[in-house]
Amino acid sequence: MSQAVHEFTVEALDWKPYVKPVDVETATTEQLDALKITPSNKKISDYVLVLANEPETLKERTPLFNDIMYSEGGLSRGGREIGALAASFVNRCIYCASVHAARYIQLEKRPEVVDEIYGSGLDANLPEFEQALFNFGVDLTAHPDNVGAYQFYHLREIGLDDLQILDLIHAVAIFGWANRLMHTLGEPHRLD
Amino acid sequence: MTSPSTTDVIDTVLGLDRFPDLQALREQRAKLKQLSQTSYQAALRPTDPRNFSYALRAALAARMAALWKSQELSAHFRALLEREDEGSALASIADPGNGAEDADPRLQAILAHVDLVTLSPKEATRTNIEKLAAAGLDDRDIVTLAGLIAFVNYQVLVTAGLKMLRDN
Repeated sequence: MSQAVHEFTVEALDWKPYVKPVDVETATTEQLDALKITPSNKKISDYVLVLANEPETLKERTPLFNDIMYSEGGLSRGGREIGALAASFVNRCIYCASVHAARYIQLEKRPEVVDEIYGSGLDANLPEFEQALFNFGVDLTAHPDNVGAYQFYHLREIGLDDLQILDLIHAVAIFGWANRLMHTLGEPHRLD
Repeated sequence: MTSPSTTDVIDTVLGLDRFPDLQALREQRAKLKQLSQTSYQAALRPTDPRNFSYALRAALAARMAALWKSQELSAHFRALLEREDEGSALASIADPGNGAEDADPRLQAILAHVDLVTLSPKEATRTNIEKLAAAGLDDRDIVTLAGLIAFVNYQVLVTAGLKMLRDN
């Protein structure tokens, strides 16, 4: 039995559910239909198969997630990954953080940004642009009832326009969603 | 009730008909706006509500919005609750101050999970899922509940972010 992982990492991890994933062999037509629109042709992950217990929700969620993270224009892909990482860091979704830290590094070639977040946490001292994105992600995740003028002006100060701010809001919010599934319905393990 | 598919809940609760610039901004991301609304439908009013009645879903959503002090959304979900069958019987759940000590064990377990995963998701462990199973929830019920909690929290965050854009 592999070891559960409880510390942040950029390593690729496995995810083991606490509830039963849908068995593709015995899946209903509705479940198969919802599973068809997963983002890649790779083997369907246990995470998606767990979500397929609720096919009506999964069918909307998959394209929503993809549009939020990959749509054209607006905030850069790397910028959206910082939003994802900030949310996952606050919510301690180790698996989500590992995936999106690795994606950020792949896109931006700046492992030092992730090192600083993992090392210093909420006190991370980042370059101005990344700092503003990270701080907004932390604030919106931890205190959605308390984002206002202060957060807004920090985002304007680094030059974000309205569409880029909207993209950042959605990237953080969709991880408020994803973290509450992935971190509560299973746990990360080291790959065997 | 009016068909939710033609109404955007977030636009409505934030009164964005009076803020055409912000409405136009949201239309630049029309696809995700539409999918956010269809996700609302899937979470709150799915075709087959199974073991989570529409009223229970609305009551739990109102509670989560209130936990985050999202007045716009908690008022919306309370109004939705009032329109659902048996909604008035579940009105007390919508108030986070109410732990429903006199509720049955299944509902008590659901409320405890909703409160924990809304405000402190990082604290959730395998034990919390085991408590739900012990209270009689099957695997699909657990995924249904997780999905409802996750969606409402997403909607709270999007609404909070858009409110920041609206007011600044």
